[in-house]
Amino acid sequence: MLSLIFFYVLAAILLAAATGVIVARNPVYSVLYLVLAFVTSAVLWLLLEAEFLAIALVLVYVGAVMVLFLFVVMMLDVERAERQASFTRYAPVGAALAFVVAGELIAAFWLKSRSMPMTSFQAPRDAGYSNTRELGAVLYTQHVYAFELAAMILLLAIVTAIVLTMRRRPGLKAQDISAQVAVRAEDRVRLVSMPAETDE
Amino acid sequence: MITLGHYLGLSAALFVISLAGIFLNRKNIILLLMCVELMLLAVNFNFIAFSRFLGDSTGQIFVFFILTVAAAEAAIGLAILVVVFRSRRTIAVRDLTSLKG
Amino acid sequence: MIEQLTNLLDFLPPVLLTIVVSAAKIVPLVVVLILCVAFLTLAERKVIGAMQSRVGPNRVGPRGLGQPFADVIKLLLKEVILPARSNRILFLIAPLLSIIPALAAWAVVPLFPGFAIADIDAGLLYVLALTSLSVYGVILAGWATNSKYALLGAMRSAAQIVAYEIAMGFALVGVLMAGGSLNLGQIVAAQAGGPAQWFWLPLFPLFVVYFISGVAETNRAPFDVAEGESEIVAGFHVEYSGVAFAVFFLAEYANMILIAALTAVLFLGGWESPFAGPLYAFLDGGVLEFIRHDSLLWLSAKIAVFLFCFLWFRATFPRYRYDQIMRLGWKVFIPVTIVWIFVEGAMVVMQVGPWSA
Repeated sequence: MLSLIFFYVLAAILLAAATGVIVARNPVYSVLYLVLAFVTSAVLWLLLEAEFLAIALVLVYVGAVMVLFLFVVMMLDVERAERQASFTRYAPVGAALAFVVAGELIAAFWLKSRSMPMTSFQAPRDAGYSNTRELGAVLYTQHVYAFELAAMILLLAIVTAIVLTMRRRPGLKAQDISAQVAVRAEDRVRLVSMPAETDE
Repeated sequence: MITLGHYLGLSAALFVISLAGIFLNRKNIILLLMCVELMLLAVNFNFIAFSRFLGDSTGQIFVFFILTVAAAEAAIGLAILVVVFRSRRTIAVRDLTSLKG
Repeated sequence: MIEQLTNLLDFLPPVLLTIVVSAAKIVPLVVVLILCVAFLTLAERKVIGAMQSRVGPNRVGPRGLGQPFADVIKLLLKEVILPARSNRILFLIAPLLSIIPALAAWAVVPLFPGFAIADIDAGLLYVLALTSLSVYGVILAGWATNSKYALLGAMRSAAQIVAYEIAMGFALVGVLMAGGSLNLGQIVAAQAGGPAQWFWLPLFPLFVVYFISGVAETNRAPFDVAEGESEIVAGFHVEYSGVAFAVFFLAEYANMILIAALTAVLFLGGWESPFAGPLYAFLDGGVLEFIRHDSLLWLSAKIAVFLFCFLWFRATFPRYRYDQIMRLGWKVFIPVTIVWIFVEGAMVVMQVGPWSA
C-alpha cells in the first residue's frame, strides 16, 4: 500500500518534470527538469529493486551527461525564447497525437497483461540477493562480447568528440610542461671563468 | 499492489510526452537531444519492469548497454552541436535549413 | 541501543517506527558532523598559524574555541545580497545542491563494528554518485550569479571536479576488486588483521591518487585555482554573502571530512585498531586496553590524520596553475590508476595480497 502511494507520487513528479523539460522557457531550467526526471526515475528503479542500475543512472546520466548538457547550454548562451506562436497553434494537434499514441500503447499491453498472472506481483527475492552480483555474473559470461563492444563504442565516442571539437588556434602560447621539467642546468646556465677586474 | 501495467503505463506516458516535445520543438536542438534522452529513459523503464516481473536479468543487462550507448550518443550529439554553433552562430531549429557544410 | 529503542517504541506502526529509529540514528550524526565542521574551521586557522609561527585566533572564548560560533553568528546575521538580474531560484538552490550530497553520503559510512546508518549493498556506488552530484552546486552558483568571473570560475572548477572524479572512480574500482563487495562494511571487514592487511599497502598508488584527487575535488589548496583569493577572488561564490555563503563554506568542509572518512574506510581499515593483533596482547588488562578494541575512536583518529594532511597541504604547497591541474588529472592520475588496476588484477589472479584468503 505504501509502495503504491510512493509509486504514484514519484510517477507524478516524473511526468511533471518531463513536461517541464518541454515547456520551460529558460533552457537551463529544461536541463534541470531533466535532471529531476532522471533522479526520480532512479528512485522508481529502486522500487523495482534494480539498485545497481538506479545508482548507475544517477552516476552516469545525472553526474556526467547532464553536466555536459549544462556546460553546452551555458557556453552557447542559448537565448531564452518566448513562447512562440507556433507552439500554441500546434499544441492541440500535438496533444491529440500524444493521446492517440498513448492510448494505443496502453491498450496493447493492458489488454494482453490481463491474461498473464505473472505480471501482477513481484516475486519475492531471497535474503542474500545482490543485484550487482547477479548482473555481474551474467554480464561477464554470457554477454561479454556485447560488453567489449560497448567499451569500443565509448572509446569511439571519446575520440569522435575530441576530433570534432578540437581546433588549433594560431598564435596560442601554451606551455609544454614535459619540456619545462626536462630542462637541464647546462642548457640554461653557462659558467664563465673570468679574471677579476680591478679599478685601474 | 503495483502491477506491471503501472510501470508500462508510466513508461508509455513518458515516451509520449517526449515524442510531443520533439514535435512541438521549434526552439533549439538541445531540446531535441533532451527529448531523445527522455525517450531512452522511457524504454529503460520498460526493460527493467519486465526484467523484474519475469525474473530475468537480461532486461537489466540491456538497460546497461542502453545507458552506455545513450551517453555516447549524447556526447557526440553535443559535439556536433558545438561545431554547428561555431560555424552558423545559431542553434535555433528554424535557422539550420541548409545542408551545406 | 538501537534494539532497546526499537523495543521501547513497539507500539508504533512499522512505518513510523522505521522513521523514528532512522531519525534517532541520523540526528546525532548530523549534529556531530556540523560541530566537527565548525571546529575544523578553527583547527585550520590554528594549525596553519602554527606552521607559519603564529598563534591563530585566540580572542574569542578560551584559547579561541568560541571562534567558530562567532563566525557562524556573523554569517547568519549578514544580509543575503541577491545580485541584480540574477536568477533568484537557482541562486538560492545552488548552496543546497552543494551541501546535501556532502551530508547524505555519510549514511553509508561504517562508523563502528556492525553499524552504518544504511548498510546497503551498493554503498560504494552510492558514494560515487553523490560526489558526482556536488558538481551541480558549483555550476548553478556560477550561472545564477550573472557575473562573468563567477561563471568562468564555476566552469573551471566544474571541469576540475569532473576530471578528478574519474581518477577517484578508478581508485574505487581497485578497492572494489580488493574488497570483493560494494558494501563499505564488508570492505572494512576484508581488511581485518592489522595494518599489513589494510588496503593502503597493496593498493598504494590508488591510495595516493584517491587522496590527492579528493583534495582536488574539494577545491582545496594546492588545487584551489577556482577560488584562490589572489586570483579570481572567490570564484563561483563571489557574490554570495550571509547564510548562503555559510552553506557553501560548510559544504566545503563537510566534503573534506567526507573524503578523509572515505579514505580511512577504504584504505586504512576504517574502525580497525592497528594494535588488535596478538603482538600487542601485553596491553590487555592494563589501562591502555581500550586502544586494542575496534571502535569509532580509531576511525576518528584516522580521519583526524587525513584532515591534518589537508591543512598541511594548504600551508605548504604553492597553488597549481589551471592547465597543470588538468594535466595532472587527465594525463597522470588516470593512467596510473588504470595501470595499477591491471597490476592488481594480476595480483588477484595469482592470489598475492590480503585478499588471497
